[in-house]
Amino acid sequence: MTLFAALFSHYRRHPLQLLALALMIVLATTLWTGVHHLTDRARVSLAESERAVAGQQQLVRDDGQPVTVQDFANLRRAGLCVMPWLEVRRPPPAGRVIGVDPFAATCFGDQAPGQAGSDALNGEPFLDIGEAAQLSTNGGEGVLSLLVPQTVDPAQLPPGYQLRGFSLGPATGELGESFLLNLDALGVLVLLITALLVRSVYQLGLVQRRESFALLTRFGVPGGRVWGWLLAEMAALTALCVLPGLWLGRWLAALLGGGFGAALENLFDTPLYAVGAGGVAVPALVMGAVVLAACFADRRLLRYLPAARYVGTWPAALVGLVVGLLLVRFATVLGWLFAGIALVFVAVGVLTPRALAGMAQWRARAGEGLGKWRRRELAVVFRRLALPVVALQFAVAMVLAVQALVSTFENTFEVWLGQRLEAEFYVEVPAFVAVADGVHYLDGLAGLGDWHLVQRGRAQLESAGGTPALPQVDLFAISPVGPLVTGWTLLVAAPDAWSRLAAGEGVMVNEQLARRQGYEPGDTITFRLDGRARTLPVLGVYADYGRPAGEILTAGQVLPAAFQPRFVSFSINPGALAMDDVRQGLAAAWGTEALTARDNQSIQTLASGVFDQTFLLTRAITVLTLVLAGASLLIMGWVFFTTRVWYYRLLSVWGLTRREAANQLRWLAVALTGCVALVALPLGVWLTWVLVARINPLAFGWSLPMAVYPGFWLEMLGWCLLIGVVISLLMGRQLRGLTPAPAMANVAAGGER
Amino acid sequence: MTEPVVQVTGLSKRFATGADAVTVLAELSFALPAGASLALTGRSGSGKSTLLNLLCGLEAPEAGRLQVFGEAFAAGDDGVAGDASARWARLRRRAIGVVFQDANLMPALTLLENVRLRATLAGQPTAPAADWLARLGLAELANRYPDQVSGGQRQRAALAMVFAMNPGLILADEPTGSLDHHTADDVADSLFSLQQHSGCGLILATHDPALAARCQYRLDLGHDRPELAATSALPSAAAPP
Ligand SMILES: Nc1ncnc2c1ncn2[C@@H]1O[C@H](COP(=O)(O)OP(=O)(O)O)[C@@H](O)[C@H]1O
Ligand SMILES: [Mg+2]
Repeated sequence: MTLFAALFSHYRRHPLQLLALALMIVLATTLWTGVHHLTDRARVSLAESERAVAGQQQLVRDDGQPVTVQDFANLRRAGLCVMPWLEVRRPPPAGRVIGVDPFAATCFGDQAPGQAGSDALNGEPFLDIGEAAQLSTNGGEGVLSLLVPQTVDPAQLPPGYQLRGFSLGPATGELGESFLLNLDALGVLVLLITALLVRSVYQLGLVQRRESFALLTRFGVPGGRVWGWLLAEMAALTALCVLPGLWLGRWLAALLGGGFGAALENLFDTPLYAVGAGGVAVPALVMGAVVLAACFADRRLLRYLPAARYVGTWPAALVGLVVGLLLVRFATVLGWLFAGIALVFVAVGVLTPRALAGMAQWRARAGEGLGKWRRRELAVVFRRLALPVVALQFAVAMVLAVQALVSTFENTFEVWLGQRLEAEFYVEVPAFVAVADGVHYLDGLAGLGDWHLVQRGRAQLESAGGTPALPQVDLFAISPVGPLVTGWTLLVAAPDAWSRLAAGEGVMVNEQLARRQGYEPGDTITFRLDGRARTLPVLGVYADYGRPAGEILTAGQVLPAAFQPRFVSFSINPGALAMDDVRQGLAAAWGTEALTARDNQSIQTLASGVFDQTFLLTRAITVLTLVLAGASLLIMGWVFFTTRVWYYRLLSVWGLTRREAANQLRWLAVALTGCVALVALPLGVWLTWVLVARINPLAFGWSLPMAVYPGFWLEMLGWCLLIGVVISLLMGRQLRGLTPAPAMANVAAGGER
Repeated sequence: MTEPVVQVTGLSKRFATGADAVTVLAELSFALPAGASLALTGRSGSGKSTLLNLLCGLEAPEAGRLQVFGEAFAAGDDGVAGDASARWARLRRRAIGVVFQDANLMPALTLLENVRLRATLAGQPTAPAADWLARLGLAELANRYPDQVSGGQRQRAALAMVFAMNPGLILADEPTGSLDHHTADDVADSLFSLQQHSGCGLILATHDPALAARCQYRLDLGHDRPELAATSALPSAAAPP
């Protein structure tokens, strides 16, 4: 018999173990690929949308009329680099397509919009402009824009045209980036958990095979060769299992991601490219490496350790924990923050089983009789099932954190959008009209709800000393300051802040600016507007998640008369009136036709759609992780219990009825998973805090409010207890046979403790 | 003559393994006087362990009747379930001490804690557990865990456990089977001296003739029709009832 056959004979005798191992690898790969694939897709989509949204300018007509093909022809003839961009909205489910002219795009160089992927122009939803025009005449609603490169000099424009920023939708890109980062963190955590699970199942097989390794060593086979063969065996198994896992993972991603992609597309208002099959090699290699590293990270596994306790030096782990916590708390660079998180997880993984076992031992001191025995057994189980226990802990912590995170995102985002969008409708003021006519019209309109005028521009920050080394910030002026803003909740301010703002006695700043420059309510801020510096108190700090730019909010009356806003709009609640009438009235007041009122409600609906999808996605993935961790605890528990079942029979011999003996087992299993849930809770809360209060500010400059959901904690505790009950019911099957015979070799040596 | 502590009438036990069934015990009858010691002998597989299991309700007989401490059990009243199983559990908990060849101790409890637990279960929470260990020469080792002492010491701790529960009957299945000769003698000495001192019944399965000879009665299960026989250890050579 060859060495390989000798080694493999173990699995011939224990085919279930091989199956469990294979299954674990497949599921782990599925889970990770699913997360990875989704993150990848979201990342590419966002990159596309960013490229499409950012850095583009368009030409609009001075007279406010929409641009036409004739304009395009005129401008090209004038020698300007222009590209037509025809957006056609088709009724669902067909959705939106964009027609571009690849030939016109050549003068853009590598900045050309819609050029992201090599085949971007061939693939939906980017079309040749001719086809798109066809679609638009066939019932679609087409809007033509003329894009110009960033380098165009406004002075060179032909008369009758002006430059405008070109944006496909509300700039919520950062929130998306933040999502990605969180999805990434989720992916890494999933990888960690799966590594733990695979390792625990593999280790389990090894424990039973150590005897034969010892035998082989006595026969003179060098340990290195056994090691090599084991590695080869595992590599082969991994290679076999990773591919179906990858396939399943993609299927999962497609299942969940379809809706996700669509929702993202709606939010960012930009088409998502279907990422092709993508590379198989990278995920496969990563997974293979993780599996092999998890199984063969230390050669101690191979050695015969009669009472192989959970190894790990707890003083080092304690130091690691403290250092990790400090790093996470005080890191100013994302890299250190992640290192800190990793350190904390490793330390917690080492410390948790020890701490739980120690706790059970300590509780056993006071106990008497069976209570004492149960607690000692619990301590044994914590030590012996350390890996699956830690895996379950991580899984529960992850579920808690992700739930809190997504709920927080959802709530915050909804409130923030409400705050940001201010009113039900939003009307952009054309560049050529007199704003005052609009104000006058709205002022005189009976039955109209709340409204205000928004003027946006730039301001130069100045330090108190007057050195102009500080950045430019956005200026956001509203008039009048009324109920549309005074109800903002994502705000830190003094109670009279709004009245003082309305009186022009101060400004508010967004969180990004406050964090960057260290402003707090009560400080003063100095900024220059149209050459005039003014110093005003900071009355409040408001949340502004969408973008990186700093912003100052003032009352419109603070603006100098000569102030040239870059952008002017009205935010309007129509109140008792129909918005269409208001819009037409405004258009008439200005003598223009091209006036659109954006319905903010629909944007909010879209946003909550995104979160519903994200909820579904993260929930599915976390539940799967939880099920996987529970299953691994079950598998490990089952095998471990075969070495323990004798002692439950001994209880029967000592006069406990079968039900009483089974109850001891139930207590043990439920205490096990219950304790895991309890130790997962602080980890989960900490992880939530890290995600919203540390990673986000470091990565994006704003933090999300930290919310806790005790109801969900109870739900998780319930789930864990349920896992415990299921485990005890399945283990109870081993108690059914009545033959009282100690079966395992280690039982004869006094048993493990 | 006092009432017998164990009375067995027409006891049969068969094991069905797949298609064929093995008859291990057939129509076995015997009675053991209170305080007496009985050795079950016979080659391996002759049914010694099976009989001990039947005598404490861990297995159910195919046919026949059993009476232990006046509590009657019959085949068919389902010795492992229902009311009979609860009555057996009560008996095992308070009155019947069982000692196996090994693995009699809970590994996560010290020797002392093991003795205490067993005595508490038997309704003797105030039993002098440490004294029992001391009487078996384990005073120094009372706070050790089972894997920290030798096999012989574990068996002596098992005896301390059994005696601490103040049983009426001890069932010992090859209690010295896994020990070397010298240690086995030690453990046997302790067993017999304590048994005589406490006056409880003892049924002991062994294939060691020397050990069997120290019991007052002997039942050779290797025989076709096993019958209770007195040994030279029985001082008055009273005829078996
Ligand atoms: N649970 C069981 N199932 C089937 N056969 C059994 C079972 N227990 C014991 N036997 C059989 O009953 C016979 C007697 O076993 P046992 O009482 O253990 O013998 P001894 O203790 O005298 O060596 C043996 O042939 C054994 O194979
Ligand atoms: Mg036997």
